[in-house]
Amino acid sequence: MLKKLLKYELKATARLFIPLYAALLGFAIINRIINPFSIIESSASASMKTIFAYLSLTAYFAIIVGIIAMTLIIMIQRFYKSLLGDEGYLMFTLPVSTSFHITSKLVVSLVWTLTSFLSTVISIFIIINEPGLISELPEAFKAFHQILGTFGMVLFSLSALLAICAYILMIYAAISLGHQFQKNKLIASFGMYCVLYFINQGIIAISLFTFGNFYFEWLVSSNGADMLIGSSNPEIFELNLVLIFYMIFTALLTAAYFLLTNHILKKRLNLE
Amino acid sequence: MSWKLQSDRPIYSQLMELIELKICSGFYPPGSKIPSVRELAQEASVNPNTMQRALSTLESDGLLISNRTSGRFVTNDESEILKLKKKLAEKNVAEFLQMMSKLGFTKDEIQNAISKSYIWEDNNGNNT
Amino acid sequence: METILKCSNLSKNFGNITALNNLDLDIPRGKIIGLLGPNASGKSTFLKICNELLTPTSGDIFISGYHPGIETKKIVSYLPERTYLNDWMKVSDIVDFFNDFYSNFNKEKAYDMLLKLKINPSDRLKTLSKGTKEKVQLILVMSRDAELYLLDEPIGGVDPAARDYILDTILSNYNENATIIISTHLISDIEKILDYIVFIKDGSVVFTKSVDEIREEHGKSVDSLFREVFKC
Repeated sequence: MLKKLLKYELKATARLFIPLYAALLGFAIINRIINPFSIIESSASASMKTIFAYLSLTAYFAIIVGIIAMTLIIMIQRFYKSLLGDEGYLMFTLPVSTSFHITSKLVVSLVWTLTSFLSTVISIFIIINEPGLISELPEAFKAFHQILGTFGMVLFSLSALLAICAYILMIYAAISLGHQFQKNKLIASFGMYCVLYFINQGIIAISLFTFGNFYFEWLVSSNGADMLIGSSNPEIFELNLVLIFYMIFTALLTAAYFLLTNHILKKRLNLE
Repeated sequence: MSWKLQSDRPIYSQLMELIELKICSGFYPPGSKIPSVRELAQEASVNPNTMQRALSTLESDGLLISNRTSGRFVTNDESEILKLKKKLAEKNVAEFLQMMSKLGFTKDEIQNAISKSYIWEDNNGNNT
Repeated sequence: METILKCSNLSKNFGNITALNNLDLDIPRGKIIGLLGPNASGKSTFLKICNELLTPTSGDIFISGYHPGIETKKIVSYLPERTYLNDWMKVSDIVDFFNDFYSNFNKEKAYDMLLKLKINPSDRLKTLSKGTKEKVQLILVMSRDAELYLLDEPIGGVDPAARDYILDTILSNYNENATIIISTHLISDIEKILDYIVFIKDGSVVFTKSVDEIREEHGKSVDSLFREVFKC
């Protein structure tokens, strides 16, 4: 059932994202062909050519901004409209658990967030006419690997993914909380987002203050930590400690937001 | 023949009357098979259980005969149908007479009105 | 007779407002039942609870032995009073959607009904009129071979011709083991297809009677009795 939900969620969103990505890459290619940077550099006065170059660049950046905004807006709109709007009558009467609904929205949002990031990076590679750039990628990767170690790389990617999940679920939780209000549900959702954000920051501050030192001391002093981290390089070791701490924290946060959203949608759902 | 139902009388008794009429008029000839409960209910746009009740009552009246395997049939016994026709005729005449007497007609006047009726003449195909 | 839906002391409050007040119901299989009551009498609230769209404040509800949840959603086919169709699918897409999620969905039946109501499967849901949307939803709901159909105001917004077709559809898809509950306040159009009627007012059952019982006892249609009982 989760597979089917994912399929329809992808279908519903792909028709919005694919044209955006196509436009982005299209404009990146156009910009590469007309090479606006060199036109602007080489001509002192404003000719038709330079105006065109500026326009083409502006359009490209506008699309990047548009993609960032759309990724966020579609994430919010898909959750709000298809679960808490009239479409909720269809979705919540399917023989599917509430947690599957949330998971399907989360996974698809995560996919589009990553794809938006990736397509923006690719478009930059297209525009920057630097043949050596791509061949240098493995070098960059190696350098990264040296700093973090294999375990650190995995940790880093995982925490990044978890951080995005926590962020998406925080938005879902805020919308679900906001929907508990009788009136002005959207404003209430935004208010709830602010509240969750402050609670989030508060918990980070408090836990860094109180548990932070204690946690590090414990890990440094225990022998098991070496095996856990899998590196004897002290610099990497410390960096990974921070990452582990951050990852556990984000994982807890992700779980908390998920459970909160699930509880509201299951027990306190009240469609218009 | 349509299934016109009034809204202030029980549905099942109205269904019975309509089926009786269909039997008398030969729409369902003696010995013929009538449609299933489901089909009839759908035709009349009524609840199948109500139709079932009407048919069962007609069955116990002896007008319909149910065969477990092949469905429901109109009785072959023409005397039953004749009895029904008489019953319905008496009922209609009684209603008619009641209405006429409400209008203040005497027995003679009623007979006179009947013999002069255009509908009567049309139905008999002569113009006297 | 075997029960398909049973609830006892079912209550639902929204803040200070009581929508359902100790509702008791025992609904057998194989019946067509009218759920009748004035506006805000608790009809929609009750149907939403049956579909787990609301959680009751107190009391119990069982559908085919289960609390509302995934198991009941498999066997309950619900038509809400809202249009829930999204704006990006075609009629054929939503048919596939139902076919995907409900194992008791009958695709041929759906296409057959679409054809009869002259609805083009390749039309976008967005472009359909309100009445056509309601028809599409009814087709989707009635194309399921469900054990319990819960229809909330199924004839509210459609024209009389379509209304007849809808009643026809309900009757022709009716099977002996399935129960249909129709919530409505437009009783005169549907009373002849009902087995019996549950009158509810202020969230409780006033009485439960068959249509013919009402006509025999009161010498009037359910519609006129309804007007009398719920006179303002």
